Amino acid sequence: MEKIFTINGQEVKVQDYKHTGDSVSFTLNGKNYYYMLIARDGQEFILDNGGRFKAAVGTPSREGESMVIANGREAIGALAAKKMKKAGAQAGGLTSPMPGKIFKILKEVGSEVKKGEAVLILEAMKMEHSIRSDKDGKVNKIHYKVGELVQGGVTLAEVE
Amino acid sequence: MKIKKILVANRGEIALRVLKTAKEMGIKIVTVYAEDDKSLPHALYADESYSLGSGALSDTYLNKNKLIEIAKKTKSDAIHPGYGFLSENAEFADMVEKAGLIFIGPTAASITLMGDKIGSKKALEKINIPMIPGYHGDDQEVSTLAQKAKEIGFPVLIKASAGGGGKGMRIVHQESELIEAISGAKSEALKAFSNDKVLVEKYVVNPRHIEVQLMSDTHGNHLHFFERECSIQRRYQKIVEETPAPNLSQELRLKICETAVQISSGINYRGAGTVEFILAPDGHYYFLEMNTRLQVEHPVTEMVTGHDLVKYQIMVAQDDKLPVSQAEIKQSGQAIECRIYAEDPDNNFMPSIGKIDRIGTPTLRDVRLDCGFLDGTEVGVNYDPMLAKLVVWGENREVAISKTLHSLDEVLFLGVKTNRDYLKRILAHKEYVAGHTHTHFIPDYKNDLAAKEFSDQDLADIIGALSFSDKKRAVSGSSEVLRNPWTELSGFRN
Repeated sequence: MEKIFTINGQEVKVQDYKHTGDSVSFTLNGKNYYYMLIARDGQEFILDNGGRFKAAVGTPSREGESMVIANGREAIGALAAKKMKKAGAQAGGLTSPMPGKIFKILKEVGSEVKKGEAVLILEAMKMEHSIRSDKDGKVNKIHYKVGELVQGGVTLAEVE
Repeated sequence: MKIKKILVANRGEIALRVLKTAKEMGIKIVTVYAEDDKSLPHALYADESYSLGSGALSDTYLNKNKLIEIAKKTKSDAIHPGYGFLSENAEFADMVEKAGLIFIGPTAASITLMGDKIGSKKALEKINIPMIPGYHGDDQEVSTLAQKAKEIGFPVLIKASAGGGGKGMRIVHQESELIEAISGAKSEALKAFSNDKVLVEKYVVNPRHIEVQLMSDTHGNHLHFFERECSIQRRYQKIVEETPAPNLSQELRLKICETAVQISSGINYRGAGTVEFILAPDGHYYFLEMNTRLQVEHPVTEMVTGHDLVKYQIMVAQDDKLPVSQAEIKQSGQAIECRIYAEDPDNNFMPSIGKIDRIGTPTLRDVRLDCGFLDGTEVGVNYDPMLAKLVVWGENREVAISKTLHSLDEVLFLGVKTNRDYLKRILAHKEYVAGHTHTHFIPDYKNDLAAKEFSDQDLADIIGALSFSDKKRAVSGSSEVLRNPWTELSGFRN
């Protein structure tokens, strides 16, 4: 079966993905790969693909992403299906300029906003940052609750 | 008097650094913490630890009255301010001493003098400390400015007095370009700042940032612990520091160190301080500023000289004589510090947050990880995103670089994106390896330092790892190898 991962924001498609117990195999760009889980200590493990190497995967964030270390390379990865509203790609998405904590929600879902009006307030480095609408419209979605921690660059709310 | 108890008015790795030396000296330590730091090791491992509550920094780590109140209540003899926060706050130093406590740092007068960037330069010019040659005068005739530029020597920098953002700024390499550049800078300055006053300064091509570690006691001993090379900076913040500075003659090294001592003795300084210089490729060096506190990068000096700078700070604070003479302080081998940040260097150094599942431990000899976090603690949004300092000693620079590269792989911070890979790219860069460091290193080699694209093999390895991430169970004993996996792991670091 085909499976899509996102690695450092890029979609990577693999075919013939088979994951059974202690092994996984798939085809990437026409080449077959096979990995066997040799040992595991919590979130760190040893994989074998003909030679052994060390890998580790962190606890996934709310966006379903985790930090992955494989063979000395660090990446942010996720199964694409788990990936949520990211990077503000969709129109009207208001993104976080840096990591922070949702301090206050000023406009509930359904309320009208004017361009430049603050929808919510993000707290970071002990300062408050107003997240403002970039157009006149209606708040369609708010992805977080007050008090939640958010990464930089994620969509916080959507205005239509 | 002998100091028996110290309150550390700081957090994270530097609070733990002071704690470590205090324990070696048999001194009790009181730490303080903001509520959002209550699970961090500095709030757990002291003899006593007190909450500063929550809220703005002015209510917690910068709350002068509260800190002094806790010091009095716990019968502390002294306050160590660490770096940052209140470490260069003259009013705080004064308040601490008025409260009958010892401030482990310089006098309020020294802090005030060096905190005034213009005043300090004027004071130091009087004792013949080299300053960047320049003309800052009111006579703004083009002919006067041109004359001054010729006196200073090319290349010169012409910039708007009211300046900023590169507006009204010109670098002039030869006399023929001078008049046009002065007029151009003046009209640009007038448009941008409604003021056409410009100043002329010597322009240093590929400057290096060299600083000298100083320590003075109250008995007239002003010592230096040699220099540090801190040119590798991003956004004016150092990320890789080392000592000794590579490609620096012994003669120039000593001259720079002696100039720094001229400053500490000239202002009758007390305690630990650092003088920062700009070093030009032609060997001229100029005073930049003096930091009147312990520096983040002090460990490289400790590794190479074998002296504990925090111990000397405490000794000086209790009026002891420094136990070494200048002749006894020697450099041996090479030490490199890398600052590990929770940030993504490949995405504009965006800070990252999250829970640290696990912190890796360095395994090589003479490697030190000064870290303010524990497994399971959170990197939040409220403080500087520095996670730790990796400090590595080797018998020479080549060995120190290779040990650092290996150790950077070991000290993973599983859970948050770090700059470890970026630090590896810096240390492996041929110009760094050759010791050709200067303050424009990161912007100049931006392309070389950019992340290499993942190969298919890299991507496959990452997908392989991700595939096993959601399985919390242990490996089932389905084969011989898996029965006792850890005996198989002879090549497994950590």
